[in-house]
Amino acid sequence: MKTVFRILLVAALAALGVWLWTMIFPSPQKIIRQRLEAVARRASFAPDEGTLARMASAQSLASYFSTNVEINLDVPGRIQHTIMGRDEITQAALAARSTASSLSVKFLDVAVTIAANRQSAIADFTVEARISDDQDLIVQEMKFSLQKISGQWLITRVETVRTLSILDFERTRTPFIVGA
Amino acid sequence: MPAQNQTSPIPSSDQSPGWVRVVVIGRNWKLTLARLLVLVLTCFVVFRLVLLPVRVEGISMLPTYSNGSVNFVNRLAYLRHEPRRGDVVGIRLSDPSIRWPSVMYLKRIIGLPGDTVTFTNGTVLINGQALDEPYEKYSCDWDLPPVKLGPTEFFVVGDNRSMPAEFHVFGKVERDHIVGKAVL
Repeated sequence: MKTVFRILLVAALAALGVWLWTMIFPSPQKIIRQRLEAVARRASFAPDEGTLARMASAQSLASYFSTNVEINLDVPGRIQHTIMGRDEITQAALAARSTASSLSVKFLDVAVTIAANRQSAIADFTVEARISDDQDLIVQEMKFSLQKISGQWLITRVETVRTLSILDFERTRTPFIVGA
Repeated sequence: MPAQNQTSPIPSSDQSPGWVRVVVIGRNWKLTLARLLVLVLTCFVVFRLVLLPVRVEGISMLPTYSNGSVNFVNRLAYLRHEPRRGDVVGIRLSDPSIRWPSVMYLKRIIGLPGDTVTFTNGTVLINGQALDEPYEKYSCDWDLPPVKLGPTEFFVVGDNRSMPAEFHVFGKVERDHIVGKAVL
């Protein structure tokens, strides 16, 4: 009985050690997931957000991106827009807050692939967004490229992924542009 | 007599906890626990591995599926055969490495691998032949140049084509993105 107790104690201590290790030294995948969750939180806003909070969260959102970030958004029927650099991100975030009363953004089914040099990564996931009280849910597959810059994982490129492609059609249709 | 004491009615205050215990835990707690475990395991297997419960959001599958309706996607539907024309399928948006996708498109297959799909004034042509679509109640005027499907590609579209084509999510999808067939 004493031996069993000792084995259980050692196993519990080992599990605690592993848990503490992962908490203190999280894997790059975990760090990137946490940062993506933070980006989704910063991109979302409630109707009752104050002016100062609005500015702060827009600037905070931009801090998750590299200075030379390139964002290509192409959601059929919704948005076709390119954003370059942090300043434009801040402006777009503020513009979104002035045009819509609320926005809820979630990043779902995140798959993170770390490059062999462990300095860059690709995150594939599904964005689920709801603008104000719009009945339609925006669902879009997206790909983020990230790089470790000054010890921080920053988003360097954002692109929408066409789960359903109609390439021949896309080449011939007239571009439709909806505001940011 | 001691026997009379044993058969005498138990006061109601003592009877209540016993009755509650039987209802909540059962006469044999071990058996109840085993039943509970079997139930949880069955639910997990059925609703995670076989029938994925989904709630329809949006109007792209009207009138077949309305906004807010509940359905199931059968993951085992295509174990014995490949998806067929007319099947309504769940399509993952995420990487195929994600085993249980949180979000899926619900679309109808109109084109099979190797087909050439064309929309001419709203009519779907498969390899030049008009496709009979009894499920499509809202006609459209879409025009789409011929799209040739590869050996692992299917062409999917929603039943509601009343909106302009630019506002509708449809097109070619790889086989590994098809999660299963809609049950209801």
